[in-house]
Amino acid sequence: MKRAAATKMPPGNQDAEAANGPAAGAQGGAAVAPHRTEPPHGSALPDAVRRCRWIALDLNATGFAVFMAGPSPDRPFLTPCFDHAYPGVSPQTRALTGDDRNGFVEHARQSTMPLRWSDVREPAPGFAALDWCQDIQPPLPGTCGIAVPVHGASHRVGLVVFFGPSIELTRDMFLDIHVRCFATFDLLVKARPEAGRKLAAISKRELECLRLTANGYTSAEIARMLNLSVHTTNQYLASATLKLDAVNRSHAVAKALRLELID
Amino acid sequence: MRSRADLSAFLMQLAADIGAQSYLLFAVLHERERHTGQIISSNWIYDAIELCGLDFITRLAGLATDIGQAPRSIRPDEAPELPGIIDGETARILCVLGHNELYVLKLAVGRRRYFLVLSCGEPASIRAEQLGRAQLNCCYVLSTMHAMLAAATVRDPLSDRERECLSWVSEGKTTEEVALILGVSANTINAYVASAMQKLSASNRPMAIATAIRSGII
Repeated sequence: MKRAAATKMPPGNQDAEAANGPAAGAQGGAAVAPHRTEPPHGSALPDAVRRCRWIALDLNATGFAVFMAGPSPDRPFLTPCFDHAYPGVSPQTRALTGDDRNGFVEHARQSTMPLRWSDVREPAPGFAALDWCQDIQPPLPGTCGIAVPVHGASHRVGLVVFFGPSIELTRDMFLDIHVRCFATFDLLVKARPEAGRKLAAISKRELECLRLTANGYTSAEIARMLNLSVHTTNQYLASATLKLDAVNRSHAVAKALRLELID
Repeated sequence: MRSRADLSAFLMQLAADIGAQSYLLFAVLHERERHTGQIISSNWIYDAIELCGLDFITRLAGLATDIGQAPRSIRPDEAPELPGIIDGETARILCVLGHNELYVLKLAVGRRRYFLVLSCGEPASIRAEQLGRAQLNCCYVLSTMHAMLAAATVRDPLSDRERECLSWVSEGKTTEEVALILGVSANTINAYVASAMQKLSASNRPMAIATAIRSGII
């Protein structure tokens, strides 16, 4: 494999990489690290970056970026999590951030199939031979690359992009890499205490009332079930409605469900 | 991949490739408070699901391994009881039917989730280290049959007009506002919403909306 590519890593990161040992990158490599336990939440981001660096090495990719898809069904939107320039932001990431003009979000919501593009004269034979990817117009000129949909807890949708002038991979290797992307995305999603500021503001009690409303219970019934007064129940529902920026209960229930605050 | 026959053939091959004898692909439908398993494809013997109960199948979803996690082996023959999921009786039935070891894999196909149960009679004959790849491969294949799967797992009893009304109501519009938008009278809107509620067996509007969103109708 492309072990020699290790020299491509940004200086200063090599020691950390070797010390922590990647999940799958170490086999056949120089560093055989001891088994690592799950990192504390604070280190989730650097850890995810590290995992992606190793994947990029295995693919011979020069760049990568991880995005989260915005929740709005009407407006496909990509929010960057990090990329190969971490803690900076690369120009490629900037080009893909924001309103999704490439249909990535639409695709990721429907499918788990990887996307592939090629805008180089001679793509590596392994890359050109991949048969189950969906081909798309190159979103980044002068590169070839892949974009894999990833899905995390509570229906979070993301996209991991790898690109470079000469990406090399085989089918089996790709399945492993996609699995690693899923694991990395999972790490990111779990490390985020909440998907947005609004969600954190809604209390457990409010959500409970909202959940029961969605299940068809009236305020009086909810009050009885939760040992509250009807007045308090209504108050909880009113404040949840307000926090969700909804105009009435039905709207609040719909929003909570679509944001996956309740299921 | 177009038909159910293709899907069965693919799953049969996938199971054989990793050393499993049976497969069971299901989705979980959320309807009101109940979560109901909906079997999409399976080669379990005909009576097996009846004997174990569909509720049991639904509960299996709780044991599912996410993509990227180490798969978890479930052994009804060794550790018969898993509180809240498998009771002693079900474990006995599973063993009699030749499911001595099971793996439950969660499949992500876009935003939809499916569950694949692979099992074998002879413990340890499933090659656990290959399950991760098989799991993802299965996601790819299911991604190509989106329309068929949606048809198999979404129950949409509503008429176009009812669905339209309900989706406006879910956006927070009042009856009068929807009437204005659709250019009909408020009474008509109420009638549409009432009939949608009845079809979804919902007792009020928030519940009708919740049911419709959960089952992917709106």
